[in-house]
Amino acid sequence: MTARKPLNIFFAVQKALFLRELSMRFSMSKTGIFWTFFEPFMQVFIMVLIKVLLFGNSNTNLDFVAFLALNFTAFNMFRNILSKSMGAFAGNKALFVYKQVKPIDTIISRVIVEVFMTSIIIIAFIILGTYFGNDLDVKNLPMVVVGFLWLIVFSFSFGLFIAVVDTFYSSVGKTINIIMSLAMFFSAVFYTVDMLPIEAQSIVLYNPLTHFIEMIHGYYFYALDDKYVNYDYIMLWTITLLYAGLWFYKRLEERIISL
Amino acid sequence: MIKLENVTKYFITKEGKKYILKDMSIDIPSHTNIGILGRNGAGKSTLMRMLGHIEFPNKGTITSDHNFSWPLGLSGGFVGNMTGRANVRFVCRLYGRTKEQTNEIIEYVKEFSELEDYFDMPIKTYSSGMRGRLSFGLSLAFDFDYMLIDETLSVGDARFKKKAKEHLMKKIENCNIILVSHEMNTLKELCNAGIVLNKGQMVYHNDIISAIEDYENINKKGK
Repeated sequence: MTARKPLNIFFAVQKALFLRELSMRFSMSKTGIFWTFFEPFMQVFIMVLIKVLLFGNSNTNLDFVAFLALNFTAFNMFRNILSKSMGAFAGNKALFVYKQVKPIDTIISRVIVEVFMTSIIIIAFIILGTYFGNDLDVKNLPMVVVGFLWLIVFSFSFGLFIAVVDTFYSSVGKTINIIMSLAMFFSAVFYTVDMLPIEAQSIVLYNPLTHFIEMIHGYYFYALDDKYVNYDYIMLWTITLLYAGLWFYKRLEERIISL
Repeated sequence: MIKLENVTKYFITKEGKKYILKDMSIDIPSHTNIGILGRNGAGKSTLMRMLGHIEFPNKGTITSDHNFSWPLGLSGGFVGNMTGRANVRFVCRLYGRTKEQTNEIIEYVKEFSELEDYFDMPIKTYSSGMRGRLSFGLSLAFDFDYMLIDETLSVGDARFKKKAKEHLMKKIENCNIILVSHEMNTLKELCNAGIVLNKGQMVYHNDIISAIEDYENINKKGK
């Protein structure tokens, strides 16, 4: 057998893992697939309903449906990457008998699958939004893309860090699950930071996810801006988590393989 | 050559560290078929996994310029929710095989394993013998310098065992095996050299017969 270059091995492994994850998603449970696509629509629908019932159909410059769709998409992507990363080592344990499969590969492939799913959901939202005549005009598309890409790196870093730590201290994962079940309310998903009273603003702005979502919808909608986003703050989060994640991973990789 | 340098491997148990290898340095010559002998719990499978680079020494290094198969056992390496076919395809992708090569391998494994309809059923519905057959057939479809075999030769009925052994005999004309087995006849038949593991020490014997004698002596003393 001729020796392959490390990068070629990496791509072969990623391709194999990606196709495997996808086929498992699509073959295992039909309801799982249904909910992957139906959940975001449900979320938007319910929130619009609540808003109309509580506040009436107020006329603002902001297309509230598009606003919710965008925020939920970004938030769900983060949430799913995190939860899938946490299960990646245990779920792929059987594959570590192949020495070219490193534990971190299983996280990377799950991130890629989530990004892929998110892209499909975005396309579905664009089609539906165009059909129903929603205002989908983008103020600054490149910066929205940067926002999403940055959020992906942040989610991966967070996921890797938690996955490694959770392998040895399982209470960490449980704590994160509890935090994540509440995170949606503190992440500017169905409001903007600007709408909040000042005391509440300072609290939600501790949450790095708030900054990401503010950045993304701030650059998407003409009616909004990114004045509350502290880029240094989220850069610090990203670098710290990425560094800590990789550092712990490197030290513990062999122990994770032979678990 | 497989080079072990100051290799220490232990597991932590309630009574403290249990050593599999204690500061062992040894060179294992190439181009021999090696049987690994040792009593239950001596660390035969662990040694095999270390050679396959999916388990690591606590100290020291194991280096070799050969490539090793994944350890062929009864259980590992398959994903329960996927069909036999999907699992074979997955491994082909891992090893960077082209589409044509993959299809050939799939056909070969399907025929060899004699799984028939089960080949397209999820692995979790398989008996352990069926898994073993699939795993063994899959490994025969790839070329390695060393095949790591952990007791898998005892899968299937007598007829299948015979067939498996014939294929393996043909295979080892071009590659070598490292075999963990408790069947002395199999070891004598397939291996030239032997390694005896006992109480943290490993001893290499150029001749499998002397390895077996050594192992039997250890067993007698143990009683």
